Amino acid sequence: MVDIANEIKLQVTERSPLTLAAVLKNRWFLYGASTLTFFWIWDAAAVARIFSSGLPRPHEVALQLWRMLFDPLAGKSLLGHIWASTQRILIGFTIASLVAVPLGLAMALNRYVNAVVKPLFDLLKPMPPLAWISIAILWFGIGETSKVFIIIIGTFVPCLLDAYNGVRLVEPELYDVVRMLGGKRRDEIIQVCFPAAFPAIFAGLQIALSIAWSCVLAAELVSARSGLGFIIILGMNLSRPAMVVGGMVVIALIAWAMSQLVSALERFVCPWKREIDNR
Amino acid sequence: MAYEQVKVKTPFILRLLPVLSIIAFFGTWQLIVDWEIVPSTMLASPSQVFQLFLVKWTEVNPDGALLSQHIWTSVQEAFAGYLLALLVGIPLGLAMGWFVVVEGLSRPIFEMIRPIPPVAWIPLVIFWFGIGISGKIFIIWIGGIVPCVINSYEGVRMTNPTLIQMARTYGATDWQIFRQICIPSALPMVFGALQIALACCWTNLVAAELLAADRGLGFLITMGRKLALPDMVLLGMIMIGLTGVVIGIIINYFEKKLLAGIRR
Repeated sequence: MVDIANEIKLQVTERSPLTLAAVLKNRWFLYGASTLTFFWIWDAAAVARIFSSGLPRPHEVALQLWRMLFDPLAGKSLLGHIWASTQRILIGFTIASLVAVPLGLAMALNRYVNAVVKPLFDLLKPMPPLAWISIAILWFGIGETSKVFIIIIGTFVPCLLDAYNGVRLVEPELYDVVRMLGGKRRDEIIQVCFPAAFPAIFAGLQIALSIAWSCVLAAELVSARSGLGFIIILGMNLSRPAMVVGGMVVIALIAWAMSQLVSALERFVCPWKREIDNR
Repeated sequence: MAYEQVKVKTPFILRLLPVLSIIAFFGTWQLIVDWEIVPSTMLASPSQVFQLFLVKWTEVNPDGALLSQHIWTSVQEAFAGYLLALLVGIPLGLAMGWFVVVEGLSRPIFEMIRPIPPVAWIPLVIFWFGIGISGKIFIIWIGGIVPCVINSYEGVRMTNPTLIQMARTYGATDWQIFRQICIPSALPMVFGALQIALACCWTNLVAAELLAADRGLGFLITMGRKLALPDMVLLGMIMIGLTGVVIGIIINYFEKKLLAGIRR
């Protein structure tokens, strides 16, 4: 029996007889079938040359990735390019979250800070981070600085916004409890505000991470000598679709792995977050 | 009115500070350009940007189109991608939330494609569609469909189980429950997706126009960089921000109208 707030759900395990209909409706069977069909259609589309030579066959992509692991490309192997992109993200992401999260918390806790920063933030918020690429290149040239700058710009907004909203949306009852127990303002902030805002901050970090990937790829597409964005743009210039799709597969894997890492960190740092499982 | 409006008086300083902060921001920006602290090839002052804004309504040079044409092209592309994303994403998400077979079949594919940022599709899309408008729409569509699917899926999943059990008791079929209970209760989440998807589409627009384009606000920015004209870059950025805000307000208005009859 699962008890979430005031809703009570009963979990009943049914053992139905194994019939064809039951197999066809089994979730794992469907997942497998769908994955197989996806690759089969992909392969068929590649063989039929629907996009002329623009779509490689799945095994060609795997082969290309295997080759790139050992043969250096523009001086770096595949792992080197992965590290180049990851490094940019880590630097930009760390700087942005170290500045934006405290600033967001300060804005939510102090209305004078809020009055000064909020209007500026509202002014800069609607501009998509990718729109900053050109100005970043004008300012910092095409080196590492401009890439890190774009990542900072892109990740700053969700980090700040979620930290800010996280504190503002803390349930007032929680404050009442601390006040009733004789807590001071300091206790309110440290005992209630921060722990209650943590899940929201982590949600912001998750969003920021996916934006960071967009930003770093866009920056690398415009100008770079290394990184995963460089691999796919090189694949395009050499008209080797296998390289492009291979790059995309690696990006998907790494982005997925990083977001799993942040989720794991969240479970570790704030175990009090209520998991609402509505299955 | 049954309730009396309570007016909380904000101190004068709190109302003054936002104005001061905006003035200080633009003042500093203007001054660092005027005193040439940064070279004029790197940053244009607000007044220069405003001047260019006025001139661009009637002057096609140096990028080959009027400001209104750039805006119109961008809005067209963004809306085509956005509407396609809504048309495909919302029904798919709703069906994924209720029908086990649809969920089982589409989920793995969706999860495989989701972590790829829309920007990464650009080179492949150039192979597939060339550099015309269809490629741009495809990229905007890819970006917009993810929030549509997730929100409508979550909306159906969050349906109060009691309602479903009640309908089952009264002998409703699966399809009836889906149509008459799940969809209405998912609507607020679906409408939430409208805003999120719009923001995604608008961001991806710039990415889409990073690949070859000859018109559009993203193109204006790229052109400004290539010609080393910071005022043009800034004008493009500001116009993208402004247009995004205006479209957001319009969508918000329709959302309010549509949601007026739904009890939250």
